[in-house]
Amino acid sequence: MTTSPALVEVEEAVPSSAPPTSGRRILTAVTRDKGALACLVFLAIVVLMAVAAPLITNLSGWGPYQFDSAAINSDLGGVPHGSLGGISGSHWFGVEPQNGRDLFARIVYGARVSITISLSATLLTGILGVVLGMLAGFYRGWVDQVISRLMDFLMAFPALIFMIAILSSLPSGNRPVLLVVVISAFGWPYLARVIRGQTMTLANREFVEAARASGAKDSQVVFREILPNLRGSIVVMTTLAIPGYIGTEAGLSFLGVGVSPPTASWGQMISSSVSWYSVDPMFFAIPGLFLFLTVLSLTVLGDKIRTLIDQGEAA
Amino acid sequence: MMRYVLGRLGGVILILLAVCLFTYLIFFKLSPDPAVMICGKTCTPERIDSIRDVLGLNQPLLTQFWDFLSGIFVGRDYGSVHCSAPCLGYSFQTNESVWSMITARLPVSITVAVGAAVLWLLVGVIGGLVSAVKQGTWWDRSAMGLALGGVSVPNYVLALVLQYVLVVKLQLLPFPSAVPFADDPLLWLESYLMPWVVLAVGYACLYARLTRSNVIDTLAENYYRTARAKGLSGALIMRRHALRPALTPITTIFGMDFAGLLGGALITETVFGLNGIGKMAADSIAKNDQPVIMAVTLLAAFFVVIGNVVVDLLYTALDPRVRVVSS
Amino acid sequence: MSGELFVVDNLTVTLPTSRGPVDVVKNVSFTVGRDETVGIVGESGSGKSMTALAVLGLLPRGARTSGSVRLDGAELLGRSDRDLRSVRGNAISMVFQDPLSSLNPYYTVGLQIEEMYRTHRGGTRRAARRVAIEALERVHIPDAARRVDHYPHQFSGGMRQRVMIAMALCCSPSLLIADEPTTALDVTVQAQILELLGELQSTTGTGMMFITHDLAVISSIAQRVLVMQAGDPVEYGTAEQVFSDPRHEYTRMLLDAVPRIDDEVLS
Repeated sequence: MTTSPALVEVEEAVPSSAPPTSGRRILTAVTRDKGALACLVFLAIVVLMAVAAPLITNLSGWGPYQFDSAAINSDLGGVPHGSLGGISGSHWFGVEPQNGRDLFARIVYGARVSITISLSATLLTGILGVVLGMLAGFYRGWVDQVISRLMDFLMAFPALIFMIAILSSLPSGNRPVLLVVVISAFGWPYLARVIRGQTMTLANREFVEAARASGAKDSQVVFREILPNLRGSIVVMTTLAIPGYIGTEAGLSFLGVGVSPPTASWGQMISSSVSWYSVDPMFFAIPGLFLFLTVLSLTVLGDKIRTLIDQGEAA
Repeated sequence: MMRYVLGRLGGVILILLAVCLFTYLIFFKLSPDPAVMICGKTCTPERIDSIRDVLGLNQPLLTQFWDFLSGIFVGRDYGSVHCSAPCLGYSFQTNESVWSMITARLPVSITVAVGAAVLWLLVGVIGGLVSAVKQGTWWDRSAMGLALGGVSVPNYVLALVLQYVLVVKLQLLPFPSAVPFADDPLLWLESYLMPWVVLAVGYACLYARLTRSNVIDTLAENYYRTARAKGLSGALIMRRHALRPALTPITTIFGMDFAGLLGGALITETVFGLNGIGKMAADSIAKNDQPVIMAVTLLAAFFVVIGNVVVDLLYTALDPRVRVVSS
Repeated sequence: MSGELFVVDNLTVTLPTSRGPVDVVKNVSFTVGRDETVGIVGESGSGKSMTALAVLGLLPRGARTSGSVRLDGAELLGRSDRDLRSVRGNAISMVFQDPLSSLNPYYTVGLQIEEMYRTHRGGTRRAARRVAIEALERVHIPDAARRVDHYPHQFSGGMRQRVMIAMALCCSPSLLIADEPTTALDVTVQAQILELLGELQSTTGTGMMFITHDLAVISSIAQRVLVMQAGDPVEYGTAEQVFSDPRHEYTRMLLDAVPRIDDEVLS
């Protein structure tokens, strides 16, 4: 049959010229969606704050650890002067009650902690999850048995209680590193489980068998044939993991086992605002809002990227 | 079938043993010496030594671990203190057996978990259903947008916002406390309302999104088209050929989420000061009361592992495709 | 021809797509008489399945139709969903291409037949169950009294399609629409299903609209043939006419693509 009649696509047509899952296609689609674009802009601001924290606080005039006793009313137990938690020209987001530390500076430095910890944890979980998941799915047999049992074990663990317990009993040492290690140790099985299943399916596909038949070594098969095909899932799983890790870090700091004071972290700021929330709601609202918006932006973007990748794979 | 269940139970026991050993190693090796902690400020080396002896801390690690395990089944003695049968340890800080501490607080945690679960199932599943049926409409878009927002609010932030608005500003609700139902049903309801909502919001939003996408996938199934081609009534099509297939996978997820909560909703209980397992865990961590931390970890792992098995069994009952073919 | 059982007259189906409305079926007309089988042939995307779905009002959301579809003189197009329910499965029933995905995996085949029978005929569950067993026996499913309680995944592909046919015929419809009923099956099973359809038709007198892309299948079962290409009806006539003297180039091309009987024997 040489000529085929024009087919009428009934399903929603995806532009046929677009390559399945290219980064550029996703970026274009994201910038075309107003909501997603707003999220992207907000995240860019947060990342900028994290990267340029010292510069920014130089501009704003107050550092994160500087006390400003003039901004608080010591007669009223240290409540900030002014109605909105001490928001003024010199303290853009107001000040902490009792010691008058600048909230803007602490938010900016807190962004540093949140971003560093969540990105490091994502990277570490990503590496652990992909490597162990692929090992289990590719070699099967006892390797799979060992890794799968380990995953079962970690997923049965009450991770939050255990993280808190471990963090509280370990010497404080380098808190951020500890947080990353602990979060990743309990986080990787969720990625590895997906990677394992997909590797198993991929390992049976024709192109992998063809590569093997042509004498490719295991490492070549894994890196050239299987890994590129897992790219979509890895991107989706990791983007959706970042907001989770930001939340976990903030939660652990909120419970007092995260980064130790005076280092600022959004969770730890919310935690210290608990005893003040009825008299100084701004102290709570500002870090709460930043935490919420950051997690929301990442979730929206992750969701968008997943939809786009699914569509790309369906096309 | 019997072999399958027995096999699973074997797996459960192995995992629990592993959790036990791991927790034991971490807490008893890494953390500060419990004997010193118990001894307090007025302490002599002799006293520490005798406390060590009573706790069995002078024994080799495996013996200690064995004592702990056998205590669960036959009880054990710490010097003059007797800790009877399900002995998960003894807290020298509260002078109570850990088991009785747990049983005293479990009802609060169960109340929190059950109430929240009912709430999030109702809101999440119904919301997701309506969204799926009205796919693409104004309602669907706003509900799903709201759901993304709800997933993103950390529950302690939500807890504080609600508390500020409802308790401090509007004074609509009392500050939450673990009031027994029998004492004052209305106060009980008012007290638990906020914890339920706070715990339920995140799950409800997740379940709404999940339900929506499951239902939409099911409506695209060939068997749904068959059901319509058969001329069945709308209600029958909905119930048998849309809801049953779409909601069955959700039972699995629900089982796991619910089991996870039975071991205590740590953050919610702590924020609202509800004296459940979660708050007990947080308090014990703050006081470094190791036997309690250990027991709570084990209890939570126990619920998760058992939940896993129950879900698997339930799934074989609900989905004929995974049912073991007997003949 | 007012005595015809089923008449499709100038049917046009328009679907909304991202590139604007598209006519997927254009001015299609044909008739099916009692006891007669009309084959509708075309490649995927030629609009033949859309024609079938339009008859039962099962088109995707947003689809528009024009023309006329009459069963025993009664107009079907433009009737409400609720109104069409009494027609679907009762006067006109349908067998789909993939029997596994077309049966609900959560219910026994018995229940899936019973629910349809009781919707249209009422009666007790026990009576409906007897009907289901009889229906399964009629399509030669061995041990029907036991198999009635099995789930779709416990049947082989051919047996599943027999179940679908049993279900489609349990309310004695006057028209059966078979949409590629043999495409997903092995060649030997295909032949058995075709034989079964022929046998059932001769005992019940049901008219049949048989949709396929496979001319070999059509030639063995249909009395009349409609050839479709990209939504257009390109040829319509008796099977003999179409096969011995194809007027349209497209039909000739389709015929050339069919392996000859001797080819099949040799391979």
